[in-house]
Amino acid sequence: MKFISLYLFVPLLGLFYLLISTNPVHAHASEQGFVLLLPTGVYIAGGTIAVIASILLVSFLSKRVLTFLFKPIIVGQSWDLRWITNLSSLVSTIGVIALVGIGLFGPTDPQANLLPLFIWTVLWVGVFLVQGLLFDIWRWINPWVGLHRIVMGKAEPIYNLPADFKAWPAVFVFLAFQIFAIADIAPSDPRRLGNLLAAYWIFTFLGMVVFGRKAWLSQVECFSVLFDLIGRLRMLNCKVNLNIGAPGWNAIERMPLDFSRAIFCLVILGSGSFDGLHETFWWLAKIGINPLEFPGRSAVLWTSSIGILAASVALIGVFAFAVWIGVKLVAKSSNVTFIAAFTCFSIAILPIALGYHAAHFLVSFLVQIQYAGLALADPFQLGWNIFGLGQIQVTTGFLKAADSVKFIWLIQAGAVVLSHILSVLMAHHVAGTLAKKRKDIVLLQVGISALMIVYTIFGLWLLATARGM
Amino acid sequence: MSNVKSNKSSMNRRSALIGMGASAGAMAASGSFGFASAQSVAPIKIGFQKHATGIGAAYGRWYDTTSQAAVKRINDMGGINGRPVELVIEDDGTDPKRGAEVVEKFATQHNCDVAFGTLFSHVVFGSAPRAGELKMPYFVGSEGHHVASGKLNRYTLQPGITDVKSQVQSMAPFVGDTLGKKVTMIYPDFAFGHDHRDFFSEAIEAQGGEVVAKIAIPPTETTFTRYFPNIPRETEVIYHVMVGPAVLTFVKELGEFFGPSRPEIFGFIDSLEAVDINSSGLEFLEGTYFWEGNPRHAQADQTPYDKAFRAAVGVDDRGASLADSKDVSTYAHMFGCWETLNIIKAGMETADYQGPADRTRLIEAVEAMTDMPASDDHPQGPKRFNGKTHQTFGQQYISQVKDGKLVCVHTASIDDGLYEDEVDYTTQSF
Repeated sequence: MKFISLYLFVPLLGLFYLLISTNPVHAHASEQGFVLLLPTGVYIAGGTIAVIASILLVSFLSKRVLTFLFKPIIVGQSWDLRWITNLSSLVSTIGVIALVGIGLFGPTDPQANLLPLFIWTVLWVGVFLVQGLLFDIWRWINPWVGLHRIVMGKAEPIYNLPADFKAWPAVFVFLAFQIFAIADIAPSDPRRLGNLLAAYWIFTFLGMVVFGRKAWLSQVECFSVLFDLIGRLRMLNCKVNLNIGAPGWNAIERMPLDFSRAIFCLVILGSGSFDGLHETFWWLAKIGINPLEFPGRSAVLWTSSIGILAASVALIGVFAFAVWIGVKLVAKSSNVTFIAAFTCFSIAILPIALGYHAAHFLVSFLVQIQYAGLALADPFQLGWNIFGLGQIQVTTGFLKAADSVKFIWLIQAGAVVLSHILSVLMAHHVAGTLAKKRKDIVLLQVGISALMIVYTIFGLWLLATARGM
Repeated sequence: MSNVKSNKSSMNRRSALIGMGASAGAMAASGSFGFASAQSVAPIKIGFQKHATGIGAAYGRWYDTTSQAAVKRINDMGGINGRPVELVIEDDGTDPKRGAEVVEKFATQHNCDVAFGTLFSHVVFGSAPRAGELKMPYFVGSEGHHVASGKLNRYTLQPGITDVKSQVQSMAPFVGDTLGKKVTMIYPDFAFGHDHRDFFSEAIEAQGGEVVAKIAIPPTETTFTRYFPNIPRETEVIYHVMVGPAVLTFVKELGEFFGPSRPEIFGFIDSLEAVDINSSGLEFLEGTYFWEGNPRHAQADQTPYDKAFRAAVGVDDRGASLADSKDVSTYAHMFGCWETLNIIKAGMETADYQGPADRTRLIEAVEAMTDMPASDDHPQGPKRFNGKTHQTFGQQYISQVKDGKLVCVHTASIDDGLYEDEVDYTTQSF
């Protein structure tokens, strides 16, 4: 245990350095103006040192330590809650119908309409993080399962979805979703979103009717696949019993992923990273856009759409190369196949994706969740004040004060750095299961470690650099 | 606090409360109980292009608050022609293509009577042609010169806020007479900066001054110190119009470059709109001058109109939200929404506007407007509307930072901002 303490202590020193190695921040401005005044270069260096330190330390760790860390302990019984989750799923279905109604017939202002606020703030940020950090919320709010069980019971599917399809359809549906979120001209338009949500709900329900609930949800329905993957990072997870362990233990126990899911992990991070990248001065300059007079999403529809795909493909390529280097380095002494390494190491991408998701959306979440509260108070603008939420007074004052902006930025940077450290731990454990010799374990992850370091710098740079949209 | 709270929560409730408020107001005004027919109580719908998302979102939020407050006041006073006013809000995404779509939605889906928006001029530029095609009166508040330059159409009017050309021109007399004749301009190297460069160069030369250096900064630049050695020693005044996230860096580096001995510095508050001027790090701005469309900080000779305006939109004497003193508003610009909505009201009343068939009469009624005195309808100050160019002219303010407060030291008159007509929209057919 002493070893563990030491091992955890040094990277945390790096984090601590990141937090304290600052000069007093000057000036007041919009959030970005303050961030540009922060000594972000020092922070990026601190964060990177923390990740490098964790890589070095973990290299000297005995395999047993990580095995111990990632071995869950039983904390309670796992109950069969199916009837309750079926019920909550039914309630969720009613919620979807209500949200579609609010989208189509409620306020036209996306900041007063509950639908876009729910989808983009509560679900895409809040539920994503709860699923990855706290508990299996998707199991409770999934809006299809309950109704499908009632309507179809245990009926056999009309057609079988080929098992060879794996989760490839979900990969493509998820990419389509990301293109809508990042590139569409008006993804928050309540009418547009209402129609889309209704269409997706029907698409999914019919898919389950035709191809069966289990097959559809595990192969095509991208949010079920996404939240299943992200949920594997939780400390608290159910097997036969309720278990707790180091974050990621469940992902490790369930590896290797099939190849489609390994790609899914990389697409989550690749498309999410592009979401950050495409706002930067750097990217806008590359595509010939003046960042000081951003002409709107309509002008970058195609570059953004192609960029999402290109970024995902590029990350897959870089990751494959990083894995290949490791496999080549140990080829003589260990029999590790490229596919095995690729599908196992890919789970180590999940923490980075989760950490960057939290960092990227934190600021907008803090603002939009206030609007969501207001919209929930009176979803149809009939003068209601449900739960007294109508008293919320939306403010962005915390983005206009140096201290709070600095605090928020450090939270974001901390999320990025911690998630990379977790990735390092998981990658090392994965390497330990693939190779036997200590030397091979280290060599196998040379490429991956380099990727982690570069991605730490990239992730922190994304938070620090000037943005033009 | 409680006033703001009730305003905020009620102002977000679009139709029902607005209708009730208007009905009550109308009844109080007329002494009657109700309206003559169902037709007459149908609300007048004003489509509001809101920068809810995109780069204009920080402005959009305050433009929304201001517009809602203006509509509430209009309804509390009995609405327009006895009818309540309803603000139909759509997000334009600060995007010209989306802006045009939104104008179309106002016309075809929401059956709006008029459209109203928006700050970012490229959205106006993208939306105005569609408004013209749909014969939808389109009242804008973008400050862009493109309305008065003749590039738009008869359906597009800018009656509530002055344009950049007028603003820049009216600064020249004060800069030349009080701050110095030899000016170095620092501006971002694109159309916005070029407009300032061209308009101001011409204006300062007319004052007997000269621009001794023009320093164009590439838009992607985020550090500026290497440009400052290009500032000539003879410079008496630095005129800067930097915008974007690196503005604070610019100010800080300029302060570090000059130290205690510096030339006079004049800028546009656009650089620091919604930024607290009285915060650590901005000390260098002490003693420098800013153009302000409307003085953010309440002045010693504050008009009752400004006082009432602040109370209605919920901002304090420093232009920050009454709910959060750190939440500084876009005070220099947002009055434009308030005044534009009051002009729509006045125009509709003059034209006895009853419905879309009266749209051309509404435009003619606004075109016929000339002088508008400072009042609760025009809290920023008096205006003079030019019906031919569809552009209003008004006072401009120059404030100096004194002890962390923006103190108005000069008010440029309406005449200072006038220029030759470049178009006569009234000759265009409907």
